Amino acid sequence: MGKRKSREQVHGIFYPRSVAVVGTNRGRGTVPFDIFYNILKDGFQGTVYPVSPREKSVAGVKAYKYVIDIDDDLDMAVLVFPSTVAHLAMEQIGKKGIKSAIIISAGFREIGEAGMKREQEVKAIADEYGVSFIGPNCLGVINTDPECSFNASFARQMPAQGNIAFLSQSGALCTAVLDYALAKNIGFSKFVSFGNKADISEIDLLYYLKDDPKTRVILLYLEEVTEGKALMDVVQEILSERGKPVLILKSGRTTEGATAAASHTGSLAGSDEVCNAAFRQAGIIRCETIEDMFNYAISMAYQPIPEGKRVAIVTNAGGPGVLATDRAVHEGLTLARFSEKTADILKKSLPHTANLKNPVDLIGDAKKDRYSAAVSSILGDDGVDGALVILTPQSMTDIRSIAEELCSIGRRFPKPLYTSFMGEADVSEGVEILQRHHIPHYSLPEDMCQAFSQACLFAELRDRDPGQPTLYDDVDMDRADQIFATVREEGGKKLSMDQSFRLLDAYRIPLLPYGLAGSEAEAAALAGEIGFPIVLKVVSEDVIHKSDAGGVLLGLDSAEKVRRGYQGILESVRSSVAGARVEAVLVQKMAGDGEEVIIGIKQDPSFGSVVLVGIGGIYVEIFRDFVVRVAPFSRGEARAMVQSLKLFPLLSGVRGREPRDIESLLTCIERVGQLARQRPEIAELDINPLLVRSQGRGAVVADARVVLENLERKER
Amino acid sequence: MERGEIQSRVRKVIAGVLKIAEEEVAADANFVFDLGADSMQSLEFVAAFEEEFEIEMDEAAALEIQTVDGAVEFIAGALATQR
Repeated sequence: MGKRKSREQVHGIFYPRSVAVVGTNRGRGTVPFDIFYNILKDGFQGTVYPVSPREKSVAGVKAYKYVIDIDDDLDMAVLVFPSTVAHLAMEQIGKKGIKSAIIISAGFREIGEAGMKREQEVKAIADEYGVSFIGPNCLGVINTDPECSFNASFARQMPAQGNIAFLSQSGALCTAVLDYALAKNIGFSKFVSFGNKADISEIDLLYYLKDDPKTRVILLYLEEVTEGKALMDVVQEILSERGKPVLILKSGRTTEGATAAASHTGSLAGSDEVCNAAFRQAGIIRCETIEDMFNYAISMAYQPIPEGKRVAIVTNAGGPGVLATDRAVHEGLTLARFSEKTADILKKSLPHTANLKNPVDLIGDAKKDRYSAAVSSILGDDGVDGALVILTPQSMTDIRSIAEELCSIGRRFPKPLYTSFMGEADVSEGVEILQRHHIPHYSLPEDMCQAFSQACLFAELRDRDPGQPTLYDDVDMDRADQIFATVREEGGKKLSMDQSFRLLDAYRIPLLPYGLAGSEAEAAALAGEIGFPIVLKVVSEDVIHKSDAGGVLLGLDSAEKVRRGYQGILESVRSSVAGARVEAVLVQKMAGDGEEVIIGIKQDPSFGSVVLVGIGGIYVEIFRDFVVRVAPFSRGEARAMVQSLKLFPLLSGVRGREPRDIESLLTCIERVGQLARQRPEIAELDINPLLVRSQGRGAVVADARVVLENLERKER
Repeated sequence: MERGEIQSRVRKVIAGVLKIAEEEVAADANFVFDLGADSMQSLEFVAAFEEEFEIEMDEAAALEIQTVDGAVEFIAGALATQR
């Protein structure tokens, strides 16, 4: 990836003063014409020039054959020529001294090698002249700020002004989004289709929007995460410095990356799991659908972010009130308990048949006065963090007045107020009023509850302290270097069991005492030094499933049993795996009691080194109880990882079980995190199991495997 | 056929398709960037060249031609091999 763009360079894309549309023509209904005409008709505050090789004028404006013919200083070019001549146009744009461009044309990287060459050629010319550009292969850029009012896109309509910014990798999706937003009275601050992002990327745009005073919420549609770490960094900066929500709709929830893994960690931590974890770690709200994205966006853009999860539900119909209550509880919200003052107001204002407790049922014949009294008193109650108001259209319901009253209440209270006017035709007038006054409206009460819950999640992500990763300085770096050097010299990718153990030892991750025996006498002697009971395990590249091949013996409590066990393992392995070469037999201290945990490392193509923690042992893929984080992370994050596992109650002591040594487990996770960060050449690592003993007795590694990068992956 | 004659006839064909004066068709002109040809007109060029010079042009290769000089070069080659 290239150098980050400066704020000024990105600013030039949104706030040009004089623009040339290069390659336009008079063909109404074509992209080259519509781009020029949209700039003209949507009130651009600067000057716009058509550049067309053949036309004398376009839409009544004098046209120029070449951009260099224009006798005026230009600061932006919108390039709409076919890709085959884009390099010629870019050369002239550069010569003219223009520093910002939008390349609308398709026919670049997205069509294959020939297109990729064209894209590289255009980028090289732009770099030579210092031109920053959006695209190619995009819908264009819209800035609704009246100071500029710039619609350099082929969208059918310029959206309304608003405080939501939308960035999209897909141009076609943009047009659908604009139409959707139009129907729901949603406005935008900036709207960018960034296409192939050959120059200005979504990361550059996010840095710009962080400081854009017109933008309060940022939405991003991505098909691929190409700079995962940079994305995490910029969002963390946006949250910590500006507290703006970043919502991402990321398509391509594929599991194909997980199918070719050589370890448990590799198979569990597929690209989508890593993406989810990384987004959460960075503070990104990931959305499942476009509708979800806008449902969440309007709540965060229009209303204050909730200070807590205590909601009050107000309804004129019992059924929808129950539906909303169920969903609110399911979403982790709590139903607020009203103060005596609120209860008193409700009692005085509502009929005796009304339900005065949360959810408050105003009864079917409720008019504006009941909604007004209930919603105002509730929002004035210190025990309530937000109001969720439901309306069903009944013959006596004064929809318009109620909508207007809610808008007025919404302006008076600094707490979130969301609405759900259920139905379609009858409620449409009321809905339109709510939308125009930026009171979030949802067709279904369930969506309203979900949006509130996501706003609470955002507050949590914004306010948390990510902490600093611990850097343990007792790591024996020379020893670790030596191990990697030896493996490289040997031309291997996979560390032997002994090398894996020694690497973990260099990082001070506790191991069960062990040794490698080449004969039964050595095995017996080692066992005597280590202390009984003993475990024997075959060490062989040819044996993948040691237990299945009879290569593991547990609980040997005498030298004689160790001797016999040694011979027994050799015989079993040789009879079950034909031609198996046995390098040695591992003589290891029997672990004893402990909870089995897996800790792993995997290299993700988008986010780099990730660490996985989960339930260990041989059933790890079946239980799928695991959590992933991008390295590095703090001890607080490590604790949050462990606490989020279903295994956690077993670790913390449940039903009389002794609590396990969670602090030692956290230290192991942190040290693995440090290993992941400092040794990116590790493609996959499994510590499985790590035995977490009773409190105060530590955690020890019983088995581990490490694979370095560029492994020829086996098909599973 | 002399190269000068090929060039002269190519310019005439292009001017005819684009409905512009022959003088506007410079030898090094790019069909799209300098003369404003669109994709339909690029197809028309190929058909018109085939008729004018009584040759057959491989369509994919012919559509790669972007300039007047390029067309002259291509047609000269075709005339040499097809006669």
